[in-house]
Amino acid sequence: MTAQLVLLALLPITAGLALLQRRRLHAIIGMGAFSLLLATVFLLANAPDVAITEAAIGAALVTLIYVLAIRKTGRLTVAASETPGLIGREGEQIVGLEWEILERLAADVGLDLVVQFASPEEVEEAIRRGEVDIGAGGILASECGENVLRTSGHLPTARFAVAGPRSEPGGKPAAPFRGELADVIDAVRRGAPVSATLDLARFLALSRYDLDAYAIERVEGDEAYVFVLPPSRRDLHQRLAEILARLAETGELDSMIRRHFP
Amino acid sequence: MRRAPVFTILAAIVLVAGFCAVVLTGFGFREPSAGDIDAWADVARRTGAINVVSSIYLNARLFDTLLEVLVFAVAVLGVHFYLTARGRPEPVESIPESNVVRIAADILLPPILLISIYVVLHGHLSPGGGFSGGVIAGTGLLLAAIALGTDTVTARLGPRLLDRAEWGTLLGILFLAFAPIFAGRPLLSDLLPAGTPGRLASGGSILLYNALIGAKVFVGSWVIVRHFVDHRGEI
Repeated sequence: MTAQLVLLALLPITAGLALLQRRRLHAIIGMGAFSLLLATVFLLANAPDVAITEAAIGAALVTLIYVLAIRKTGRLTVAASETPGLIGREGEQIVGLEWEILERLAADVGLDLVVQFASPEEVEEAIRRGEVDIGAGGILASECGENVLRTSGHLPTARFAVAGPRSEPGGKPAAPFRGELADVIDAVRRGAPVSATLDLARFLALSRYDLDAYAIERVEGDEAYVFVLPPSRRDLHQRLAEILARLAETGELDSMIRRHFP
Repeated sequence: MRRAPVFTILAAIVLVAGFCAVVLTGFGFREPSAGDIDAWADVARRTGAINVVSSIYLNARLFDTLLEVLVFAVAVLGVHFYLTARGRPEPVESIPESNVVRIAADILLPPILLISIYVVLHGHLSPGGGFSGGVIAGTGLLLAAIALGTDTVTARLGPRLLDRAEWGTLLGILFLAFAPIFAGRPLLSDLLPAGTPGRLASGGSILLYNALIGAKVFVGSWVIVRHFVDHRGEI
């Protein structure tokens, strides 16, 4: 009798725990545990047939179907172009200011973050087609296309035109840089001709290399980094804007920026 | 941060605790009496099945079970009909699973299928039967679908074979229910002898019904999953 009482008491506790989980996978596991407990209760009540059905359907089948259902909706997919300081890989980990902000958002909505690194064009394309939830990685407010939602800038920045080397006759006018930063760094290291406009974060990464031979000019105008979202994710845009506003209000954003751009 | 709905949770706990109290005081949790055991032995003698529950729903109340199988078949038919009418959307690239899931599915699938066959075939001897055994096998296939993708699993099983098996098993169950007429016995009665209780070959037609219902539930649950994946996007 004691075993039955303990199991019965555990049932509402497990159900409550499943309800209180912020992450969906944890809630589903909680429901599976609840079903398994219930199956044990049935078994002790001399109903082994009901117990076996409850275990097969409640604990196994339904749990699996829920897991399948959250595979798509339970993840927050981010398309990002690697930008040092904002979002990038460091060994196995992803680090950066924008990554930290996105982690706050993911914790707030109870979803897992999945990042796909791509070139800026691919990020723009993925956002336009609504294939990913958020675009990040040094996106400038002035550069994001039409028909996308964008947040207010979380970090003011500037643009720098890099052209050269100076010995090159003529020197082509700087075209906005839209490729991978690694390509520009590679060209600079080889001393090959470069004509690109870089935002501050990328320029800082480039300035670690010898730029003496190249002409550098600050492009006029105020710029800021933003996140972009497909028009269908108005709800998520709202949440991200709220989080950014809260971070700015509490001064946490400033300390995060100082940490990533010392 | 949102406020935790404390009142709702408290109310739910009180409700569930009250329900448990009713269950505890009302019924269940008692050892079977000598009278119960006599009654069960009587059922076992009559049908040849040790599992009293399956001897009731596959012998004494077979008509109810047949209608239940029909309900399931209609559900599968409904999914088939309405989702086929929607047409196929653009195929969506499935998210690749980690090695952990794929290897676990590889290791787990054979024992899951074996257990389901055991549960189905021993339905008249021990707890279980066609419904739960079929669900266990379907769950195993769903696990394979998570790891390998539904297209791979469907290709391995053969889509046409599945559709035919779906209706073939239903026809088989209906035939088994009507077959006693040809042997000069009443409808829905046993076709096979009761046999010695406790042996695998006992319990009259219960073993056959369990095998067919198990196959029906297994194929039916897979057909439902496949239709949703085909017509509503990759899971």
